Amino acid sequence: MTEPTRRTSELTAYLSHELRNALACIHQFGNILVDGLAGELSGEQREYVRIMLENASKIRKVLDSALAETPDQLEESTNKIGRVSKLET
Amino acid sequence: MDRTKILVVDDNPSIRKGLSVRLRANGYEVLFAEDAISATAALVTERPDLVILDLGLPAGDGFVVMERLHNHDRLAHIPVIVLTGRELAGNRDRALQAGAAAFFQKPVEDGTLLFAIRKALDVSRGELRFDE
Repeated sequence: MTEPTRRTSELTAYLSHELRNALACIHQFGNILVDGLAGELSGEQREYVRIMLENASKIRKVLDSALAETPDQLEESTNKIGRVSKLET
Repeated sequence: MDRTKILVVDDNPSIRKGLSVRLRANGYEVLFAEDAISATAALVTERPDLVILDLGLPAGDGFVVMERLHNHDRLAHIPVIVLTGRELAGNRDRALQAGAAAFFQKPVEDGTLLFAIRKALDVSRGELRFDE
């Protein structure tokens, strides 16, 4: 494994752990509120929590997609983004 | 009849709290451990019916806990559901080969986790085969 690939692999592991734990907390407590396990919510409060949960799900899909790539693929994707940014500036 | 006892092993206190609210609302008794050493101690002293196990733990990881559990005659039958923030590659297959009844990445849908718990308990009590 090359040094950049190793670093990408470590970054992937770190991001997976930190972001998934944070998302799990939002997901768990959002659903606890929506399900009334911490007391009943008003209709408006329920709607706002649902919006939070929907957006947490979107972040999760992005995360699943990004972290499904192997370290080599992720490094290549990152390099492509870097090349596009340079072309655009 | 005693309530089904679930040991939640996770070093994140918010995860432990969230899981306890959900599991207690579904009638389970919930115990906690926050590292591999206290998890092993709780397995021996509390004899839970099922373990929900994170892999990234202080003082040894979740694989160490599973190895200790499966090497202990009186504990080896306890089903383990892995719930982790770690990536799939290199962890899911290893966890299932180590004897985990199920592997989930965080965040998991509550219904999915509760279904897996019921199924793992049924299998460990001999009421269901793994392939059913």
